[in-house]
Amino acid sequence: MNRSFVRSILLLLAVTAWAVFAVAQDDTTQPAPADTLQETAPVAEAPAPATNVRGEDTPGDEGGSITVFWDQSADDTGIDAEGITVIGYEIRRTIDADNVPFHSVGFAAPGSERFEDATTSDDSTYYYVVVTASRDGGRAESDVIGPVQSSPQWFNTNRTNVFIIGLIISAAILYFIASARKGKQLFIRRIAGLEAVHDAIGRATEMGRPILYIPGIQDMDDVQTVAGVTILGYVARTIAEYDTRIDVPTSRSIVMSTARETIKAAYISVGRPDAYSDDAVHYVTDEQFGYVAAVDGIMVRDKPATCFYMGAFFAESLIMAETGNSIGAIQIAGTAMPAQLPFFVAACDYTLIGEELFAASAYLSNEPKQLGSLKGQDVGKLVAMLAILAGVGLFTLAQLTGAETINNAAQWVQDQFLLN
Amino acid sequence: MNLRPSTILVLVVSAILFVLSANSYGFALTLAAFFTLGIFSFLYKDNPMYKFCEAVFVGISAGYWFVSLYYQNLLAKLIDPLVADPVGSGAIPYYVVAILGIMMLMRLVPSIGWISRWPLSVIVGATAGLWFITYLQSNAMLQLQNTIMPIQEYAADGSLNWYQSIGNLTVMIGTITGVIYFFFSKEHKGAFGTSAKVGIWFLMITFGASFGYTVMSRMSLLIGRMDFLFGDWLQLIL
Amino acid sequence: MANGETKNFWVTLMAIDRRVIFLAVAIAVSLPLFLNISQTIYVSPEVTDLYDSLEKLQSGSKVLISFDYDPPSAPELQPMAVTVIEYCFRNDLKMILMGLWPQGPQQANQALETVVGEPPGASFEFNGKTYVYGEDWVNLGFQEGREFIIQRMGSSIAAAFPRDYAGTPVKELPLMRGVSNFNNIDYVFNLSAGTPGTVEWVQLAGDRFHATIGAANTAVQAPMIYPYYRAGQLTGILGGMKGAAEFEAVVGVVGKGTKFMLSQSFAHAIVILFIVVGNIAFFASGRKRRF
Repeated sequence: MNRSFVRSILLLLAVTAWAVFAVAQDDTTQPAPADTLQETAPVAEAPAPATNVRGEDTPGDEGGSITVFWDQSADDTGIDAEGITVIGYEIRRTIDADNVPFHSVGFAAPGSERFEDATTSDDSTYYYVVVTASRDGGRAESDVIGPVQSSPQWFNTNRTNVFIIGLIISAAILYFIASARKGKQLFIRRIAGLEAVHDAIGRATEMGRPILYIPGIQDMDDVQTVAGVTILGYVARTIAEYDTRIDVPTSRSIVMSTARETIKAAYISVGRPDAYSDDAVHYVTDEQFGYVAAVDGIMVRDKPATCFYMGAFFAESLIMAETGNSIGAIQIAGTAMPAQLPFFVAACDYTLIGEELFAASAYLSNEPKQLGSLKGQDVGKLVAMLAILAGVGLFTLAQLTGAETINNAAQWVQDQFLLN
Repeated sequence: MNLRPSTILVLVVSAILFVLSANSYGFALTLAAFFTLGIFSFLYKDNPMYKFCEAVFVGISAGYWFVSLYYQNLLAKLIDPLVADPVGSGAIPYYVVAILGIMMLMRLVPSIGWISRWPLSVIVGATAGLWFITYLQSNAMLQLQNTIMPIQEYAADGSLNWYQSIGNLTVMIGTITGVIYFFFSKEHKGAFGTSAKVGIWFLMITFGASFGYTVMSRMSLLIGRMDFLFGDWLQLIL
Repeated sequence: MANGETKNFWVTLMAIDRRVIFLAVAIAVSLPLFLNISQTIYVSPEVTDLYDSLEKLQSGSKVLISFDYDPPSAPELQPMAVTVIEYCFRNDLKMILMGLWPQGPQQANQALETVVGEPPGASFEFNGKTYVYGEDWVNLGFQEGREFIIQRMGSSIAAAFPRDYAGTPVKELPLMRGVSNFNNIDYVFNLSAGTPGTVEWVQLAGDRFHATIGAANTAVQAPMIYPYYRAGQLTGILGGMKGAAEFEAVVGVVGKGTKFMLSQSFAHAIVILFIVVGNIAFFASGRKRRF
């Protein structure tokens, strides 16, 4: 079958289905109201009502929500205040102020001045009234406002800053990927762990014992596994030259086939394709602790001189690193799983911490996508560092000098990262 | 299987103990206690009892996940809604995911395995899109915004709050030097290198704290098991 | 000669059978379970803050409690679950229980049973009051979909959870009427042992949909969650057994958290002892790291 023809048909199907689905989405949920405040006869003295009530469509949402604002009741002076104590505001609404009675849509705490009614339908208009309630059962209604209608928006203007910062980082990444593709040399600093990798291979060669390489326990769709397999390629090139034995037990079948390809390519690149054997890489099991049990067995039996752990790890990290330690192997680990880093740092001789794993992989592979992403993220980090230095410096200076303008400038820097 | 006399002895003694205690303490509790002790026995050394308990655990968990996936995913999220309403407009998204699911299975046929990349790209794309924004907002922007603060903090009476001020300074230095350590576009030399060294110290202290918390967590789990053995099972704790 | 003997002592100590250490830890953990010593529990600011944020809720407020853990993490998280449910009953808060982990809703029912003293049926008496399922509390059960469930709940909880744990359509539950998304939830309390858990609740429910969140975490998780608390993305944190004990202290219940704290302290003391002795032995025996 013609492959591009099949692809076109599939694409057409997917697009049509998506379009029909998008049009068919007709979410008209209109839940019935719930009484959140008990109706009590106003026997007690009524508190001052909330004033200046306004209602408007909640901005930057997918519709179905109206925000009601008001100014606090004059009696809303705290829960322990003398005299009348306001215990909150009840927000009531109707679709027809003259003919349909109001019903409760929610309750706002004392001191609050806004309420988001997220139970509206975009097809109706609503009228609202805010009822101030006091502890003794006194109630005071505000003026009725309306009609108000909710509507969806395409763009959430509240989060424009997120959009811009996201755009800057994405643009930087794309730019660096493009320049790497054009053949521009992108500088990446020396990563100390990589030298340790070389020494560790040398040690295994001298001792005539094998190297154990664990590329994590996740599948190839995890970027950490990709980094682990990339570094495996580097290790394999070195061992192909030295003629050291390597053992790569994997927990996923696809990782097994990828690792085999990688090692084979490494042997070919140093001109020793004859020395390569598929036996170096073997699948064990997907089950986490079953895999660990098998790897521990290999360690105790084969006593590898060097163990590498490069990829995504979970609770098995310490079990493996502990066993490796007990057999006296040199151990080098690399992972971006924050919870597992402490164990690797404690039990291994060298650890590539977090992003160092990706940096090492980018450095060794010289692959434009990896290099570009790393450099692009550096731009993000630079922005972050500068913003912190500028913001903290300005705030500190503003406090020392008491200058309003400096304070405003600091506030401006801070506000760029605020989420509304 | 090569059964040594010691293995047989362990199995027979365990079986007798199990039957005796099940009568007095309740079957389910004794079963749970039996497996707890069986797994604990590995701490002494690897033994057939441990291997048996481990195999049962692996088998049951695999079975449990299979059943859970079948009922929670396949049945609840696809088959049930489609059976309830196979022709309405609400059924369209379910057909879309069903087709994507079938495309995923194409990986079993090597010659058309490439088709499985389509649904995979939907998953990768959706996940990446969701996480790019959420991480940018929650882990980058909000954290950054919170690090921007004046270093010195004053108490209510106007005097310098040393404790808080040193805390603020530590957070700032820790954040900046930590980011410097993970900055790959510049060699770690001179003042930049020193900052990166400070950064790695901060990281190591964090790892230490994290390790401590993990020890606490693991001890809690052990306490939970001990409470089960002595309290729920043997009822020695009042 | 004497020097050599001392060195030998440390070398022997370094090579101590690990089973001796296991036994010491087992004794340290078990013994306090039989002792009746009360321990003063210092309540840390993150627990106080979480408690204060709960105290701000009016009676009748809706609290969503998400049970994102399973039995392996229950020793740490179950005491917190029990305490928060007890707190909700005492303060007349309505509870919406759910789980992003398959076994979460069962943990929820177990916690309810611990508080009430009987398996929770359609209604039960507690502290002289009658509580009715569907009006005072609901258990929405588990839905597969990980963090996407939280995302979906942001627009419609009924779409994410069409039916509750028992199979009743959520729209028929009186408590769920008028609850369309996080805007109608006054507080989200998340009990988390991993992914999906607190990180996802903060990122999606909190930062995206403005829900107020308090988190209860296993101690393994806690260090990764603290930055969110510091930045105000969480009202407070209960971390591990210590957090459970502190929460019990501040709410005023004596539960398993408090009971286990003595074992925990003994265990920590012995671990510290081993670390100190181990380090002295390491340096005294003259061993060096290879790199």
